[in-house]
Amino acid sequence: MIPIAYNVHSLAARRSTTIAAALGIALVVFVFAAVLMLANGVEQTMRATGSPLNAIILRKGSQAEMQSGIEENAVGVLRASPEAAPAGSGTMSTAEVVVIITASAAGTKGGVSNAVVRGVMPESFMLRQQLQIIEGRNFTPGSDEVIVGRGIASRLADVGVGRELALKRNRPVKIVGVFSADNSSFESEIWGDLNSIRAIFNRQGAVSSVTLRLKNASLFEDLRRRIASDPRLGLEVKREPTYYDEQSQGLSVFIKTLGLVIAIFFSVGAMIGAMITMYAQVAQRSREIGTLRALGFRRSRVLLSFLLEAILLSLIGGALGIVGALGMSFVHFSTVNFQSFSELVFRFTPSPGILIGSLLFASIMGLLGGLFPAVRASRVSPVAAMRD
Amino acid sequence: MTYRTMLIKNAFRNRFRSILTITGIGVAILAFVFLRTVVDVWNSGLTAAAEDRLVTRHKVSITMLLPRTYYDRMGNQPNVSSIGYANWFGATYPKDEHSFFANFAVDDDNYLNVYPEIVVPPDQLAAWKADPAGAIVGQTLAAKYGWKLGDKVTLTGTIYPGDWTFNVCAFYTTTNRAIDKSSFLFHWKYLNDGPISDRMREQVGWLVIRVKDPSQGSAVAGAIDSMFESSEAQTLTESERAFNLSFISMYAAIFTAMDVVSVVILLIMTMIVGNTIAMGVRERTHEYGVLRAIGFTPRHLMVLIFGESLFITAIGGALGLLIALPIVNGFGKFIEDNLGSFFPYFAISSGTVALAAVLALVVGLASAVLPAWTAARLQVTMALRRLG
Repeated sequence: MIPIAYNVHSLAARRSTTIAAALGIALVVFVFAAVLMLANGVEQTMRATGSPLNAIILRKGSQAEMQSGIEENAVGVLRASPEAAPAGSGTMSTAEVVVIITASAAGTKGGVSNAVVRGVMPESFMLRQQLQIIEGRNFTPGSDEVIVGRGIASRLADVGVGRELALKRNRPVKIVGVFSADNSSFESEIWGDLNSIRAIFNRQGAVSSVTLRLKNASLFEDLRRRIASDPRLGLEVKREPTYYDEQSQGLSVFIKTLGLVIAIFFSVGAMIGAMITMYAQVAQRSREIGTLRALGFRRSRVLLSFLLEAILLSLIGGALGIVGALGMSFVHFSTVNFQSFSELVFRFTPSPGILIGSLLFASIMGLLGGLFPAVRASRVSPVAAMRD
Repeated sequence: MTYRTMLIKNAFRNRFRSILTITGIGVAILAFVFLRTVVDVWNSGLTAAAEDRLVTRHKVSITMLLPRTYYDRMGNQPNVSSIGYANWFGATYPKDEHSFFANFAVDDDNYLNVYPEIVVPPDQLAAWKADPAGAIVGQTLAAKYGWKLGDKVTLTGTIYPGDWTFNVCAFYTTTNRAIDKSSFLFHWKYLNDGPISDRMREQVGWLVIRVKDPSQGSAVAGAIDSMFESSEAQTLTESERAFNLSFISMYAAIFTAMDVVSVVILLIMTMIVGNTIAMGVRERTHEYGVLRAIGFTPRHLMVLIFGESLFITAIGGALGLLIALPIVNGFGKFIEDNLGSFFPYFAISSGTVALAAVLALVVGLASAVLPAWTAARLQVTMALRRLG
């Protein structure tokens, strides 16, 4: 086999064309990886929100908490479910109400966005241990105070600690703290006391969802069967991770599809760039190729050598593109999630799969771009080439 | 031999490489035009807005309802010619659960008067008014599911639980292509008399007002909002344009990202063209030495190189635009039929064509900067010494 060092030296010897072709590939890989990281960011953010031991109960047919409603008299029964883990005299469970408010988006002119306002019980904090106050303090139960997630706090105008939200006439709601929640979608929410939020939005007598911490995960089936067997309730139960996965589907599939179509489009350009470079390499090195053939290297070896060189070229580009995309992981991205119709703040989130996939994508571009030049190289006649 | 013939001959000295480069440019321009068209059409929601229409919604959020009595109270405003109201229904079609189309309940009399762009044949309109369970369906939506007049269609409620059956009574088309032809409209009364919770009865989602004199729009909006200033549910009235803009702005980040990506494709294009030109210059170093020796100035060489680059990009750009028109517009037909709720029409605008043409020339110039600079700095003796 022709040593790879030969290819490395050849690429280095014609530096400028190597760089131009590699940069073309790098830009395509950058788009490819960044888009997948974005879709992964949506999924990870949602996944971090759900806990496998938690089960969420919603009204049947509602696609998001905001559409759901559970009557007050059912709440007590549901919270007393035998499958729920005990806590004190009751269970580890909570009832919450979710409403959406429209607020001005920060840094835009006339732009608005939707934010989730969640009315919670003290037990909600037991079920969501990832919540941590990072500025100010928690709200006082029973008061008209709220805390805001750090994601939405940076996204909306005028939601800092000490500010007030006008959600109802003559009843200002005071922001007393900012919280983090392990990069989950809770960071895109505003939390307040269940009863205050219900009073402010005229939602007395009902909640949006009931969430239970199961004693163990296998009890979920029992709970599901029990709730399904009572059609009068008209409710359904989901594991939290399943529910939040569903919430991320629309947006992440949209980003992925769009991004992949764009990346494939773009890759044609980068492949042509690699092809031009490799053809030039073959043309300029015909004497070298003739010598290799005269030394006894077979056609297939020459073909392989040039293919490897093209792949090497594309891997250099791929690596550059990945480095660029990894640089994006510090950037926050924020848009309205289709499913919940409210703002979701997330980050470009890399994963080993995305990195490997990007390098593979780069190699395929190199392989396809290098194929015809390599075939031409393998057809160089040793006699003719050395006579030149 | 003139400059022109010389640079054209230079451009096709390596015919195969030039053809590859031109193909690369063509694909890049195609991708650019496609991305720009997506962004353009998305923002076209603004052109669907009429100057004489205002929209009134709940001040806190579009997801909150207003009492229907507001409709009567607003009717007394001077300068108002008609008012319609509507409720977002948000149901899914069980036979095609995952695709989305807008469905909402509207008042019998005025909603369609407020939107003269929505055209319903008079006999079908009369049939709809006579049937309490009647529905008016956009022609694109009807074509997608093959619905005919008289068909029964059942939708599954998400906000309003249960199965709701409608009779298809009428089809509509629009005189403004930016208005959605994939909506499903039915009687507000049918919703209000249906099995919905008391909290939602006698409530409307938003009101659309047509004013007699567009210049009085903001005065009317102010008068309406102050009328409900001391009510439980306060209102926010804005021009239809501002209302549409608020939805568009919610997804701004996604479309900003697409803008960024459309710049990336131009960079990729610059790499391809720059590489080709640089290769040509390097191969012709000896020749440039000769030209310099017989009296050509560095400036002459630069003109030749810039000219060659512009020539190649012009051909590639023209080719790209030529293939973009049928491809993007053909793809647009598919988008209109399947994603009509988001992109009521999908076609390349003349602005996009002009922008692509200008940017192609900019890329042509940018690609030649480095090679031209290298050629201009050549030492005549050094260049003559180099062979091949």
